[in-house]
Parts: sequence; structure tokens; C-alpha cells
Amino acid sequence: MNNKFNDDEVLNIVIVGHVDHGKSSFIGRLLYDIGEINDEKVNELKKASKKRGVDFEFAFLLDALQDERDQGITIDTTRIFFKSKKRKYVFIDAPGHKEFIKNMITGASSADIAILIVDVKEGIKQQTKKHAYLLKLLGVEKVITVFNKMDKIKYDQKLYIKIKSDLDSFLSGLGISCITDIPVSSKVGDNVVKKSKNMPWFSGIPFIDILDNFENSGLVVSKHVRFPVQDIYKIGDKRVIVGKIELGSISKGIDLLFLPSNERAKVKSLEIWPKAKKKYFAGDSVGITLDEPIFVDKGNLASDLMSPPKLMNRFESNMFWLSEKKINFKSKYIMKLNTGEYEIFVNKVKNVIDTDSLKSKNNTEVSKNDVCEVVIHSSQFIPMDDYSFNKSTARFCLLDNEEIVAGGIIDLRNYPDQREKKEDFRKNIIPENYNLNEIDRALKFNHRPGIIWLTGLSGAGKSTIAKNVEKKLFDRNFNVFSLDGDNLRIGLNKNLNFSPEDRTENIRRTAEVAKLFTQAGFVILVSLISPYRSERKKARDIRPEIFREIYIKASVDVCAKRDVKGLYAKAKSGEIKNFTGISSPYEEPEKPNLIIDTSREKVEESVAKLENFIIKEFGF
Amino acid sequence: MQSNLNKLENESIFIFRQAYRSISNIALLWSLGKDSNVMVWLAFKAFLGKIPFPVVHVDTEKKFKEMYEFREKFTKKWGLNLIKGKCPPIGQIDPSLPPAARSAARKTDGLKKIINEKKFRGIIAGIRRDEQGTRAKERVFSPRDDFGKWNIKNQPPEFWNYSNFNYPETVHVRIHPLLNWTELDIWQYIKQEKIPVVDLYFSKKGKRYRSLGDQDITFPINSNAKTVNEIIEELKVSKVSERSGRAMDHEEENVFERLRSKGYM
Repeated sequence: MNNKFNDDEVLNIVIVGHVDHGKSSFIGRLLYDIGEINDEKVNELKKASKKRGVDFEFAFLLDALQDERDQGITIDTTRIFFKSKKRKYVFIDAPGHKEFIKNMITGASSADIAILIVDVKEGIKQQTKKHAYLLKLLGVEKVITVFNKMDKIKYDQKLYIKIKSDLDSFLSGLGISCITDIPVSSKVGDNVVKKSKNMPWFSGIPFIDILDNFENSGLVVSKHVRFPVQDIYKIGDKRVIVGKIELGSISKGIDLLFLPSNERAKVKSLEIWPKAKKKYFAGDSVGITLDEPIFVDKGNLASDLMSPPKLMNRFESNMFWLSEKKINFKSKYIMKLNTGEYEIFVNKVKNVIDTDSLKSKNNTEVSKNDVCEVVIHSSQFIPMDDYSFNKSTARFCLLDNEEIVAGGIIDLRNYPDQREKKEDFRKNIIPENYNLNEIDRALKFNHRPGIIWLTGLSGAGKSTIAKNVEKKLFDRNFNVFSLDGDNLRIGLNKNLNFSPEDRTENIRRTAEVAKLFTQAGFVILVSLISPYRSERKKARDIRPEIFREIYIKASVDVCAKRDVKGLYAKAKSGEIKNFTGISSPYEEPEKPNLIIDTSREKVEESVAKLENFIIKEFGF
Repeated sequence: MQSNLNKLENESIFIFRQAYRSISNIALLWSLGKDSNVMVWLAFKAFLGKIPFPVVHVDTEKKFKEMYEFREKFTKKWGLNLIKGKCPPIGQIDPSLPPAARSAARKTDGLKKIINEKKFRGIIAGIRRDEQGTRAKERVFSPRDDFGKWNIKNQPPEFWNYSNFNYPETVHVRIHPLLNWTELDIWQYIKQEKIPVVDLYFSKKGKRYRSLGDQDITFPINSNAKTVNEIIEELKVSKVSERSGRAMDHEEENVFERLRSKGYM
């Protein structure tokens, strides 16, 4: 062991285990014995304990919050910074109470090494096993098991060995290799920093020395490359692609393949402020430019050419479920994978895993904090890796509206790569070879094409906003055009009325016209009541990558009060039938890209908001 | 393997870029202290030399003269888009708070006012987990409700660099790119990158400021550290906490938590 203090290395440690098995006390004792706790803090807490009429405990050091001390349990992950003779450490104290799994996951996902703590008097409990399972799922596979409260069993070696071998066999069943086991007592201070005199039968070294001896292998240098595109910045006349390298290295001149578009280019330059080095590695946040003007968008995944990620629209996952809500097979979830966001459906629950016995449960009903195996599918092709290839590009989270409901790792063993299929598919649908590509136009126009779909009630302000934004963008040299529902009904859609079928056809035609405009390189603003979700979805599916749904929001009352065209009055009197909001439904967008609330914002505000949105989304 | 500072820097840049990409209207809180200067520096790195959003200084009008000079000089030098926020008079602040905390609470109200005025959806703040117990419990992306309140008991999960940005319009998000840094990391980074800081941090006549707040509620510590190097050496052996010179932290055991749950940084 190298005894020199290494100022430049920090090891992140997560400590998990069943409630009340002594996580906080263990850390408190360690900090105290190592001499890390400033006297100010200890005195403050001793005073506070006295005031409350309780004995000072080491755990109090960590339970910094008032109400926590009252309840005697740790509520959320706390970080404790300390150093030994060897190096610096960060302790992530994860809570053991049943309902706080999500906090443990938050803490543990950034750990280099885990400590699983067991109260020898109580033995292995349900949460001990569950936490171990989650460690595996989170990718923390280096574990030290600490058997606490040895003083309570009178330092009984036989009992210790029994519990230890039970836990060891459970962990090896999980595929976790335990670095070492150690019997301790936080209360007395046995084997934490000082070697215990109460356990002469134990020949090992104290806990702190085990930590100091641990060599963190860190990130492996790989010949493969994974570089998720975080964003694109326009700097001067350069388009800089920024992101964090997840695997391998990037230097000038290397080839990169971008998925899902399947286009390739060479790295032309590295863009770093104030000055770039020659080569960057996994973990580095960098910027690059390319030698070819290919389309790259945020969320794309760049890789080396030899072993690119797989393109999948159906895959399996081992997933933990964090929500009170049940999995809804009909509901769309947003999957965040690398820097991309995708709409997915959970197709099937194959198994719910009983983390106690490691067997699958008989039912497939997933409850909060369950771990399960699922099949996921999407209407898009999503670039991804198998977890065994590279952990960091093979894990995702699921969002349901405003809540993160799940996290999971990707298992592609049962599904073949669909990249080739996708190429066939593309070959089949391109009817003509255009002389000019979209990219040529986009580069000349200095912006990408886009469909800006404004939906909302009659009188909500769609046309007003569209007209104003059109003018603003035009002044900025955008190629922009506004398609208005009412105007289209005079010509192209003359033969359609307001029945549901005709509304559908109206939307289809309008979307197709919008598509033609985008092929000509335009940003096209479409103002159409488009009351049905399903129809707007169809419009989106024509060109999902550049379609943005904007909800122009105003209540029926507000619109009826405005009633610029006098239509609401007529609808109310029955003169107009099938009038949206009065005699025909309007389905609010579930996840619009932007909401503009015209009952609260001034016209100028709304216009500026949409203008900025378009510039940010489609400007170079 | 990456060095510790290198790792922290890269993580922070990632957070900055994630915030800019995911939240529509953001600003950086520039308190003029060492941490917020490090943030400005990291923002230059993230956005390649020009910060694409405003920096906000919530001015209690009770800061040290040196800090105001620093602000004027570096706003110009760094080409910052500076917004100055005003704080309400002390008479309008919750009278049940102890005096120094009450003074600090003014800043919270000033911050809320500027957030509402400018309709910011994201505020980048330079808090660190090692500073104070309740800050240790923070998330990198931490939502605040309409009143700027922090719901510590029900924080969203955050794992594998995934965070939630999907909140109702009334919610704004506090973004904490320095959460995993320590005070020592900050000074080592200041040294490595040669980042300018206010002179008050350096010892004069045996005293220096370790943390800078309002003039009337911040006190210097005993120290002979006159240079960045000497500060680093001092911190390596110090066992006194960084905020020991902040009067509000010592008034009542839970005052910091009370301030924070109401929207203090």
C-alpha cells in the first residue's frame, strides 16, 4: 500500500442497509475516531441533545435536520466529506427506511464502492437484500460488508460467521463479489479506525485501512467511442456539437457515426475554452466540429464505426419502479436515454422479482419500489447499447408527465439489431432523388425546416400569434410561411365541412402541405384548431423529428368573451353546429412542446416566446 | 483516470449545458464570492467563452465596498449581462426570525422578486454540499414551488445524470453545478485556473474573510493566509467550518433550515 496522501483522488462511498442497522452511527464513529469532526459541531450537537433530554449519539452528527433528529431516522442522502492518511472520501449516507428507496438510488448511483451494513443481533433483513439487489442494478458491484453492533452479541465469533456466510451466499447469487467482511461496533469503536481488543479471533485490519487499500480502477480506456450529443451551439460560423464522452477518446480526424440518422463525418476540430488539448477521454465534456455538413441533433448518439450502438424499437430491461402509480400499458412514457428523449410504451411485464428469494413472483403486478423485467417498444428507432457492452450508455429513466417513475438497464440479448431493416425501409420510401437535399437548403438558409403546429380553441389567438411570429422571423431572414386553417378552407379544403371525418381529412391535407414546405426548407406555422389528440398525433408522425406542438391556451369563456368573429354567439344560439368548445369537444394536448397562455400573457410576450422557441429549436 | 478537479469540472460543465438545453429562461446568481466566480468561469467553459444568459446580483446594498468594485470591474472585463436585483427594507421581513437571519432573509425576498419579474424558470446557484447540513441534502436540479419553497421531504429522484425538468409553469428550478465541490476544491481550482477573487479573502493584519455575506452579519477569521496557496494550506488543516463567520448560522439550531425551506440559497 502506498502511504502517501493523494490529494487528487476522491472515492465516493455509499452506505446502505436495513433501517436501524446503524449506518449513521457507523459514519459518525468513523469521523470521530479519525479526528475529522470539528469541535464546534460536536459541541453544538451535545448542547442540542442536552436541551432535548437525550444522550448524544454519533448518528446525530449526520442527522443535521431538526425533524430528523426527532424521528431518529435519516430522511435523505447526505454527503459527508472526510479524509484519511491516504486520500479524500465522500460518504453518501443512504436512508434505510422502506419508503425512501428513491433517495438511496439517487445517492448510490454515483458511488465507486458500497458498504452494506448488517446488525448482527437482528441478522439479514428484507431491506438488506433489497439494497444489495439495487446496488447490482445501479452498477455498484464493489461491496464491503460491515457487521455492526458486535458488542450486543458479546463479540460471538460463531454467530458472526453464521450471518456472514448467509449474506455471502446471497451476494454471490446476485453476482456481487464482496471485497471483504468486517465485524465492528460503532458504539464502542471496535475495528472502525482502531483494531478491536474485544475480538482477538478476528485477524483482519480495521475498516479505514480496508478503504485505504482499495484501488479504484475508474474509467477504462476503450478503443470504442460513445459520445451522446448534448446540444449544438452556433459560435461564429461554426456549429459546435457539445457533450460528454461516455466511452473511449476523441481527437481530431477520427471518424464518427451518428445515430439514428446513420450518417458519418470526421472530427474537424476540438472546441474547448480557452484552449483545446489534442485528445479527450471518457468523462470529459467537450465540443467538436465536423468536416461534413451532416444533420446532427441533440439526443443523437455518436460512436466509432467498428462497433456502433444498436438501433432498436423493441428491447428488454431490468427496471426499478419508483411511482405510486401502476404501470399503464396504454400510456406513453418519455424515456431519457443518454441525451435523447423518446416516447415509449411498456409492452409487457415478464417478471416481478422477489428480491428476498431472487425468484420471480407469480404475479406481474408492479408496485412501488419493485424490481421487474419488462419489454419496451417505441415507434422510433432508438440507438442504445447492451448493459454488458457499456453501462453508462445502456441505462435510462422513464418519465410520466412531471414524475420520474422508473430507471432501468438495457438487455438486448433477445433482440437483433434493426439498423439494416431501417436502411431497407428508407430505400423503399424515397421515391425520387432530389438534386437538392434538405441539408443544402438548410445551410443556405441558415436554419433548419420545422413544422410549428399551433392548436387551440377558436379565438385563442393562434392566427394573431402566427402572423406576428411570421413577420419577426421573416425580418431575421428566415424562410417562413403561415398556413391558416380558415384560409385553407377557402381553397384546398373547400369540400370539407366540420364533421369529425372531415376535420380529420382537413388536418391530413394541411399536414401534407406543411411537409412539402419543410422539404423546401421552410419553417411553417400551422394555425389549426385541430381538436383531437389522435389527429394531431397523425400530423406529428408525418415528420416527428421537426414537428413541434404549441398549445395556444385560453378557456372557452375567455374566447367566447373575445368572440372576434362572432362565432361563439352563433354557436351558442345553435346557428353553427359542431363548434369546438361549445358543441364539439377540444382535447387539450398532453405534452405540448410549448404552452402559450393568451389569457395571461400579452400578445407581444406570446410572440416573443414562440419566436425564441423557434430560433432555439431550428436556428443554427 | 481523471483527477478530482478534472472530474468535478467536467460534471459541472455537463450540468450547465443540461440546464441551458432543458430550461427555457435561466440566470446565474453571481454573489461576487469565490464560488460564484468559479461558476462564471465554468459557464465560460460550458458555452465556449460567452455566457448565453444573464447573471443576477441580488444586491442587499450592504455588501463590502471591495465587492462592488469587483462587480463593476469584472462585469465589463468578462462581458457579462448583469441584472441587479433589489431587496425589500428589513421592516418587511418575518419578525420571528433572529436578527442576522432576518437580514439574510431579505436576500431571499429580493431573489423571489427578480425571479417573478424576469419570469426565470431556472436559477443557477453556487451552493455546495460540504457547507451546511441542509445543503448536503440538495439535488443538482431542485424544484421550487410558486413561493420559492423547497420540499425537502419529497425531492425528485436523480440518478445516472438523469433529472426531471418537466414542471408546471409556476415552478422554477434551482440548479446547483457546484454541489459536489468542497471549499478546498474551489480554492485549488481558483489556483489552477487563475480565477480572480475579491481581496477580502486574503489576510490583512492577521484576519481574513472566509465567506462573504452582508457587511453587518459577516465577520473575519484569524488567519495569516495572504495568498491562494496559503489559503489552501490553511484549509488542509482547519477544523473550523467555513460559515463560522456568518452570524445567522449560530443564532438558532434550525434557522438555516427555516431560511432554506422558504427559498434561501
